[in-house]
This record gives sequence, structure tokens and C-alpha cells, in this order.
Amino acid sequence: MNTLSWSFLDILLVIALVLLAGAALRARSLRQSIILFIAFGLVTALVWARLRAPDVALAEAAIGAGLTGALLLTALRNRPSEESRLVSNNGMRWGGRWGNVAITVSVSLVALGIGWAVLYGMNDTQSGRLAGQVGSALELSGVSNPVTAVLLNFRAYDTLLELAVLLAALLGILSLGGGRATHCTVDPIATSLRGWLVPLLILTAGYQLWVGAHAPGGAFQAGALLAAAGVVQHLAGRAHAGLPVGAVLRVLMVSGIGIFMTMGLWTFLGGRGFLAYPQRWAGELILLIELFATLAIAVTLILCYLGSEPERRRITPAGSKP
Amino acid sequence: MPDVLMLACVVMAATLVVGLVPMVRSTSSVERMLTAQLLGTNGVGLILLLAQILDMPALVDVALVLALLAVIAVVAFTRRSGGSERA
Repeated sequence: MNTLSWSFLDILLVIALVLLAGAALRARSLRQSIILFIAFGLVTALVWARLRAPDVALAEAAIGAGLTGALLLTALRNRPSEESRLVSNNGMRWGGRWGNVAITVSVSLVALGIGWAVLYGMNDTQSGRLAGQVGSALELSGVSNPVTAVLLNFRAYDTLLELAVLLAALLGILSLGGGRATHCTVDPIATSLRGWLVPLLILTAGYQLWVGAHAPGGAFQAGALLAAAGVVQHLAGRAHAGLPVGAVLRVLMVSGIGIFMTMGLWTFLGGRGFLAYPQRWAGELILLIELFATLAIAVTLILCYLGSEPERRRITPAGSKP
Repeated sequence: MPDVLMLACVVMAATLVVGLVPMVRSTSSVERMLTAQLLGTNGVGLILLLAQILDMPALVDVALVLALLAVIAVVAFTRRSGGSERA
């Protein structure tokens, strides 16, 4: 009975995933593609939950299903309207038939490669090796959630570089954009939502940050939730989306990578090696790094949403802009 | 008891797939967005059921985050359509 139910559930989820992916690719306008993509993100989160991977499900729910939709819709809004018909029935206009073939072949090859890697990893007799190593060293990491232990301690270097990638992307956006952030209309729905949604989002962000030490959660999820609070603020007519202006904003932008590098250099100069935390303080240091990483990620995502830095002068009352 | 939950899970997944039909076939963005929201609610319920069945309390957090962030997309969407009328 139970195995049968699980197979039914799996088949239904796979059908939903494939249907949505196909529809998103074949939609007549980019706007409809985005809506289908939001639904696709949601079903992906469901699939990760079913596969007993709450960490991935959480990241997908926070970033894939939630914030990316708002980011994409706003990006589309700032494009010339005729461009939203880029996707026609014949596929991408720029690539033509051969372009489509090339894309299909390369994507299929990548998919096959990933499939082979998964199959190889599952059949490999030593596949439990890394998970076992993390498990046996977990007590040394200062946290009890193995994912956080890997991301912020054992492989902290990777997370540092991820923050650097985010910062590089933000610098690219800021150097291209400009003047859009002040364009801000007051949405009555968003204004009434702001009163209760923003505090809830900030509270949940804090909870995610704290819970990351011993359960799924962490800086990226918390940052995405904080960024969502900023997006709501902006939709409700706050042109600066709750962000500070000027130097404070710049400091926040680099704070994640800044605190990471400071820690790294401190442990390095202390003779322990780059980012090798002293074991006694590891938990506190990880929380400190995650706190600033959360702020930096939130600021980065909000600025991605705005497309440029908010204006230096203070906006007086909410929604006074045309 | 777990069997009942599992059955509820399968039924919800089935309604999710049925809900996809208007999502895929509709030509109206508004209809699609509303269906996406319906799927969101359905998904939150499904994840809460899975949290019970798999005995993974962390999945409740996933449902919480999904429920909070589903609102953002719909607000961004309504603002976008309002903006295009004004522009």
C-alpha cells in the first residue's frame, strides 16, 4: 500500500514538473513564461521535500519559487514591451532552427552527464565516504546541522567565493542600471500588506538565520526573506525599499565578504590557516559570519530588484513620487 | 493513520496535476497567476503533510517560507499589470 502510494505521488510530481517545464518553454509571451516558471519552482520545492532534502527545498522555496518571480517580473517590466514577444511559436527568434538544435543537444548532453554522475555516485561503493567524514567531524564544527557545517566551516572557502560572485553580479548591475530605483508607484494592495508582511518576513529571516546552526536554514534563506521584505516596502511606495543610502549601503554590500575575509586573515595570521576557526568559538564565529552574509545577500537582492542604488536624498512621505 | 495521511498526499498531488490543466492551456496571464497561487496553497498543504509522514519538522519551515513568499510574486504581478495600463 505504502510503496504504491509513494510511486503514485512520484509519478504525479514528475508529470507536474514536465508539464510546467514544457509550458514555460512554449509560452507565447515572456510574462506567461515567468508565471509558469514560478509554478515550476514551487513544484521543484515539493520534489525536494519529497526526496527528504529539506535544505534544498528551503533554498528552492526562498529563492527559486519566491524571490526570482518578483525579480523576473520587474526585469520584464523594465524592458521595451515588444521584446516580451521574443518567444514565438517557432522558438527563439535569434537562434533559428539550428540554434534550437544546438541548445537542445548541449542541454541534453549536460543532463545526461549529470544523470550519469548521479547514477555513478549511487552505485559507487564508497559513496558514503564524504557524508561519513562530515558526520564524524560534525562535533568539531561548532554547529549541529551538517549542511551549515559544510557551508560555513569545512568548505567555508566555497561560500566566501559565492559571496564574491554575488558582489560581482551586483557591481555589474549597478554599473549598467541607473535612474530606475526612484520610479515607484503606490500599490494599494502592497500598502495594506506592508503592515503585517514586512514584520513577519523580518522575524522569519531572523529565525532562519538562528535555526541554521542545528536545522535546515541559514544565510541565503534568511537573506532572501529579508530581501522580500525590501521588495514589499518598494511595492508599497518606499522608493528606497527600506535600504540605507550612501556609505552605509556600500558597507552593507561588502559586509558579508568583508567579515569573511577578516576572519580568514585573523585565523591565518594566528597561525591556524585560512578560515580554520578555533574550535571553542566556531559556533559563535559562524553565526557572526552568517549574520553579515544575510545582510549582504539581502542588500544585494534588493539592489538587483531595484536595478540601481536608491537616491541619496531622503524620500519624505511614502509614495509622494509620481 | 500514516496511510490516511499518505492517501491525502496522493489526492492533493492529483488535484495539483488537475490544476495544471488551466495553467498550461489558458492564454490569460491573470488566470495563470491565480492558478499559480492555487498551486502554491496546494503545495504548502502537501509539504505540511510530507512533514508529518516523513517525520521531518524542518519541512514545516519550508511551508512557512513558501506561504510567506508566494504573496510577493502576486503583488509584483498585479503591480506590473497596473503599471502597463498607466504607461
